[in-house]
Amino acid sequence: MSEFGTEEEDVRDLVPRFRYVYILLGFVFVVIFCRLWYLQIIEGHEFQEYSEKNLLKERRILAPRGLILDTQGRILVDNIIGFKATITPQYASHLTETAQVVGNILHIPPEKIIAEVHSSRWKNGPSTPVLIKSNLTHNEVFRLKRIRIFQPGLNVNETIMRYYPLGPDGAQLFGYVGLASQREMADYDRKYKTNIAIQQGDWVGQSGLEESWDPILRGRDGMKYIEVDAHGRESPINKSLLDLKPRPPVPGHNLVLTIDRDLQKDAMYEMLHQHDRIGPRIGALVAINTKGEVLAWVSLPSYDPNEFAQGTISDDTWEALEKDPYKPFMDKVIQAQFAPGSTIKPVDSMAALQEGVVTPTTLISAPGKMWFGGRWYHDADPAGHGNVNIEQAIEVSSNVFFYKMGIALGIDNIAKYARAVGLGQLTGIKLPGEVPGLYPTKAWKMKTFDEPWLPGENLSNAIGQGYVLTTLLQMALVYNVVATGGKLYKPLLVKAIEGDHGNIIKTFKPQIVRNITKPNDSNVIVSKANLDVIKQGMSLVCNGNRGTAHWWKIPGILMAGKTGTSQFVSFSASQIHKNCFDRPFWLRDDGIYLAFAPVKHPQIVVGVLAQHSCWGNLGGTPIVRDVIRDYFEKYHPNWLKKGTAIPIASLKKIENNE
Amino acid sequence: MATDLQVEERTFFRRLDWNLLAVIFCINVIGLITLYSATHGASAAFSQTRLFWLQTVYLVMGWIVLFGVTLVDYQFFNRAAYILYAINLIALALVLVIGRSELGARRWLELGLFRYQPSETMKLVLVFILAKILSKQNKPEGMGFLDLIIPTLITIVPTALTVKQPDLGTGLMLFAVFVSMVLFVRVRTSVLISVLIVGMVTVPLVWTFGLKPYQKARIATFISPDKHPHGAGYNSLQSLIAVGSGEIIGKGFRKGTQSQLDFLPERHTDFIFSVLSEEHGFIGGMTTVGLFIFLLFMCAKIAAQAHDRFGVLVGVGAVSILFWHVIVNICMVIGLLPVVGVPLPLISYGGSMMITAMASLGIISSLAYRKFLF
Repeated sequence: MSEFGTEEEDVRDLVPRFRYVYILLGFVFVVIFCRLWYLQIIEGHEFQEYSEKNLLKERRILAPRGLILDTQGRILVDNIIGFKATITPQYASHLTETAQVVGNILHIPPEKIIAEVHSSRWKNGPSTPVLIKSNLTHNEVFRLKRIRIFQPGLNVNETIMRYYPLGPDGAQLFGYVGLASQREMADYDRKYKTNIAIQQGDWVGQSGLEESWDPILRGRDGMKYIEVDAHGRESPINKSLLDLKPRPPVPGHNLVLTIDRDLQKDAMYEMLHQHDRIGPRIGALVAINTKGEVLAWVSLPSYDPNEFAQGTISDDTWEALEKDPYKPFMDKVIQAQFAPGSTIKPVDSMAALQEGVVTPTTLISAPGKMWFGGRWYHDADPAGHGNVNIEQAIEVSSNVFFYKMGIALGIDNIAKYARAVGLGQLTGIKLPGEVPGLYPTKAWKMKTFDEPWLPGENLSNAIGQGYVLTTLLQMALVYNVVATGGKLYKPLLVKAIEGDHGNIIKTFKPQIVRNITKPNDSNVIVSKANLDVIKQGMSLVCNGNRGTAHWWKIPGILMAGKTGTSQFVSFSASQIHKNCFDRPFWLRDDGIYLAFAPVKHPQIVVGVLAQHSCWGNLGGTPIVRDVIRDYFEKYHPNWLKKGTAIPIASLKKIENNE
Repeated sequence: MATDLQVEERTFFRRLDWNLLAVIFCINVIGLITLYSATHGASAAFSQTRLFWLQTVYLVMGWIVLFGVTLVDYQFFNRAAYILYAINLIALALVLVIGRSELGARRWLELGLFRYQPSETMKLVLVFILAKILSKQNKPEGMGFLDLIIPTLITIVPTALTVKQPDLGTGLMLFAVFVSMVLFVRVRTSVLISVLIVGMVTVPLVWTFGLKPYQKARIATFISPDKHPHGAGYNSLQSLIAVGSGEIIGKGFRKGTQSQLDFLPERHTDFIFSVLSEEHGFIGGMTTVGLFIFLLFMCAKIAAQAHDRFGVLVGVGAVSILFWHVIVNICMVIGLLPVVGVPLPLISYGGSMMITAMASLGIISSLAYRKFLF
């Protein structure tokens, strides 16, 4: 008994406090009673009227997306006003008739309209307007507006559309916008992790800059409150219970690129208007200045992003683009990785000179073929080049010389230098889908294939064929290392973010990843003197008598470059170069050419990947030359010698020379 | 002697508090009727009929939990409080790491057959552990600063983890349970006053640095709905129109224009009381509120009859869980509080809330079941 007694006593001090609980409950009951009395009985009738006659709806005011501007502030990606026709399923009380009339005006089969409205009603809910046609003509707008009053649910709205004035030019770079679908919502949430809530039906960047800079470009939609009648038609507000003020939309920020629109247009033009035996090129072009700022960016074949952004693309066009074997959606500047072929030789040369395998004056015999490990390794020129030093080896692009370098250095030694100049790694340009390429090592091969490195692979990798893969942008940056005497830059594409009245919000400066002539974070240093030797060799490519690109010159400006051919199909040795033009188009080798100019004080680096052009010095050289000349015509016209005819090369002479 | 004999003769069914169970059942019926309307929209496109059937399943599970908890001696929760707390805290931390994300929030752990929401069970576990600790407090002048340190820490950690998910509503509930229980045990007046002063200083800081924009928007909307700079006033306003337009007897079952025509957001979860008020008017709304207040009154009464301090405090905790959910939800719907994501127990759609609510009531029922044990 005593035990229970203490426990009971224990509780005694708590029990009286329950009266506060009872008082609180009573108080809350009274408060809610009064509030409901006020809402439902005193104001009830007004709310009742409001809910019946004036249905309040939220309507979004689209925020204009930021523009994309070129380095001089000229528009590369724009917004335009257009008209669209929509039907809101909730209010479309006689849909069959509406579809008939609307279909008549817009030349769309009524069944298709009905089917779309029905399917969207299920997918997106009945209050979401269904887009029937965007980009209406004036005539269509006029005719639709006349019948609108008789067709509940039908609306003709102004809308902001994305407009890409350059069309297919730079399409992969700028990207395009599309409507976010319900399915993609979770992806956007994950991707942006910001407070920007993307809603279904929003325009979102779906590729290129539009995608990677979407959070900057996208503004914040505004909101207005409208009262609609039971048929979904907007009605003027006579009396409102609450004064609802609209929230104005906040426009997105503009991107100021380093791209030069003139050069961009020229580059595209040159790629498409070559009247030689190859004709319009497919592939890629990139031009950067010596600070790593991108000036022009072309990938071909291309497509018209306006058709995506304005929703006018037909199913046939879409399908054709999807199935195109030459991949129009691929941004070949950063998403295509190819065997660099002979364009890798400057990297071999850094290793060879720096590791002391050769000196600038060492002469090495460079015949037309070389026996190694039980097979022949060929040079492009079966006659060979005699004894050459490293400058001359670059000039004539001697394979045998670099086979010997490959053997002497070993793959891991070259790989150190390749990594130091950025190969096998992402360049860090803020664009979706960049691929890192690959520079192999013995360890890599063991890990990937569980096989030891073969001595013969030293030879193929030394001429950029084995496992080595690069992107055009990486190669341009590597060539810029030679041009600037050691500076590897991080590519810069967006140099500023601009507010909607031209105020600069943020600027981005060129960044040096490392200077390989000075102690740096990689474990190699390449001396300035050695880089100058390589530069001289590359100058000979363009200017020497035996240079593989010496047929294309610019009077007054000395260029330095290197040609290369990427064999992507393995043929037997004798077939490699002889029959390229006899093969079907898609089996032809890719030509690569990169060059910078002027040799003494380089200003610009241009690289071209000319797919299926057989030879780097056929496919790439004329275009690179023309783009470099266009650059100097714009920026340093007095450096060019006027009135000098540009020598036209005879194609026959070139063919056996790489 | 006579009383002892009586005790032994009582069977399971006779020892249950049938009045309590009857009131719960009435609220369940109202809940199902309202949910049926909210999930069977006027047009097929608004319907989520599946949810209604799921809810009936949750309801059956809820009753099983209620009876199960009734049979457990609540002293078990006293003994197991620390270990339950530790497990639950780990689960709560895990949610942030590997939790399932939905609508930008991580709240659930995927456990094969079902999803487990640790913040939901934390409400009960917090009641257990606080009851255990506070039951040792019996200073007549109330708790001082030092006495408050441990209970505060025990509450702050899970609350912070929950708010981080982010789930402001549940975090708020956890904290409210703590405040209720501590105040019930009594806190010194001097401590209360200092806490109020500190609160006035820290609230602006939390406002500036601690809240997500959407959370700020909700509170801002509440404070000045006319300006509602972020447009979040829409939900609030539509809810007010729904409630108000119900007038005295309502528009009738499944005849609410606001609810049926998709004007009301979240109408089967957080805003279900507006559906009820629109369709059944002042009479329906007040009946439900009355039943809830009556239920809470009964629960408090049962808690007051418990034999030991732990029993009383667990009862108070269970009552406070229900009380705060009901009050915050209804006040939000009728525009007396900002829009926080708190469901209405026993009425809103949702398995987690149903189980928590029925388990809380199970604790009360357990107290009632054992009040004859002497």
